[in-house]
Amino acid sequence: MNMELSRRAFLRSAGAGVAGTAIGAFGFGGIEAAHASSIRAFKLTTMVETRNTCPYCSVACGIITYSKGDLRKGEKAELVHIEGDVDHPTNRGTLCPKGAALLDFAKAETRLKYPMIRKPGSDKFERVSWDQALDRIARLMKDDRDQNFVAKNNDGVTVNRWTTTGFLAASATTNETAFVTYKVVRSAGMLVFDNQARV
Amino acid sequence: MSQVYGPATSPVMSGGVSTPPPVRLPDPASLFRRRAERLRALSAGHQLEPYLAFLADLAAAQDRVKPVQPAPVLPAADELRRSREFRMPALDRSRLAREPAVSDTVDGIVARLESATMPEAARAALAVVSATGPVERAQMAQAVLDNAVPFEEVAEHVLVAAALQVVAACVAGALPVGALTTLEECLCPVCGSAPVSSSVVGWHGAHGARYCTCSLCSTSWNYVRVRCTACGGTEGIAYQEIEGGPDTIKAESCDTCRSYLKVFHEVKDPALDPVADDVGSLALDLLVAEAGYRRSGVNPLLTGY
Repeated sequence: MNMELSRRAFLRSAGAGVAGTAIGAFGFGGIEAAHASSIRAFKLTTMVETRNTCPYCSVACGIITYSKGDLRKGEKAELVHIEGDVDHPTNRGTLCPKGAALLDFAKAETRLKYPMIRKPGSDKFERVSWDQALDRIARLMKDDRDQNFVAKNNDGVTVNRWTTTGFLAASATTNETAFVTYKVVRSAGMLVFDNQARV
Repeated sequence: MSQVYGPATSPVMSGGVSTPPPVRLPDPASLFRRRAERLRALSAGHQLEPYLAFLADLAAAQDRVKPVQPAPVLPAADELRRSREFRMPALDRSRLAREPAVSDTVDGIVARLESATMPEAARAALAVVSATGPVERAQMAQAVLDNAVPFEEVAEHVLVAAALQVVAACVAGALPVGALTTLEECLCPVCGSAPVSSSVVGWHGAHGARYCTCSLCSTSWNYVRVRCTACGGTEGIAYQEIEGGPDTIKAESCDTCRSYLKVFHEVKDPALDPVADDVGSLALDLLVAEAGYRRSGVNPLLTGY
């Protein structure tokens, strides 16, 4: 707590500070009272601004999301605006065209909210569980690596490359997540790789 | 005609990412004139019209009383360097109260305000203040700085506060801006006072950044958005505004310390003034107080809130 503010609160409660207002003291008490009673008809609305990180690329620009209504007070919150965070040292409030369109990304009807699969020969996506999705991805990765892993190049030098699968990781992650992602992907031999740790 | 651009306004910079300046000093030459104009514009049709019109006259008196006499003593270069090194305010607030220029400025403001329209109570306060001597005025100035204004003398102290603001703004305006830096707490880097309000500005090189304005010397300093100016907390910050009102004036409320400070979106409405619009948006204070938050912004013109 700011010293100044706690002092003022103390002085007020101790009766040492002001009781009257400047408006009243100058003789405008009548309009002050009228103003106070007329505003009772009005209500407050709440906007919550939340700091976040743009999910697109490894630059990890700072963003501020604006939502109407406060979830913490049991209200329903609706995302209404997203803009660059001026206080963020990386982007200083600027955003690229993709970042500037984030609101439509968050509210898109076609936004992917759970794993889906389009099986070979099928013309539509079906929802699957995370377990099914992860098992299938792991199976396919393993098969691909077994088939295409390059242990030695033409000159017989050990290279341990796996170039037929790529890995794109998120930007809004911690240092630790980025570190672990890097170790897992690189130790598998994968070269086609991007995540936040690059920057 | 061709125009010579300084590095700060070079058109080549238009696409660049610039760092907002930490501190912006007031320009005493235009500060009070603009405030008077804004108060005058706000008063038209406002429920508090007579009070705002009176404050416009007061701000006009603050404008015309300059330059303050005798000229205040500025801190020496090595004092400024030391303040900066330890992140302390450049001026000692209590020394401002004893500045000889305060008393002369009080006289100047009273003389220029006498022809204005005002209620009897205001005229009586002018008479009381003009009868006081330099010693009493220094005590009143100290009470203003301590936020310990006796409730039966609020009007008299507001007049002294107005004089203090002029002297402080003149001192602040004469400091080298490069010698200043923001402090650890959200207090004025020049005089260490609490802010009156904050503004999201549209300045070149600082577009969209938030600046707090000093309640005493009108210096502005950069302060991170979505962070409580009173306790520094970042949890439980919300922006309260009056339903159906313009979305340019909001109260940044903090659930940690239950206080709020107004944020003016100058970037959307460049006419907003940190002091004038603070009085003009009193309705927001009344509603936010009802919601259980305390006002952290200091404004002598709203003493008692």
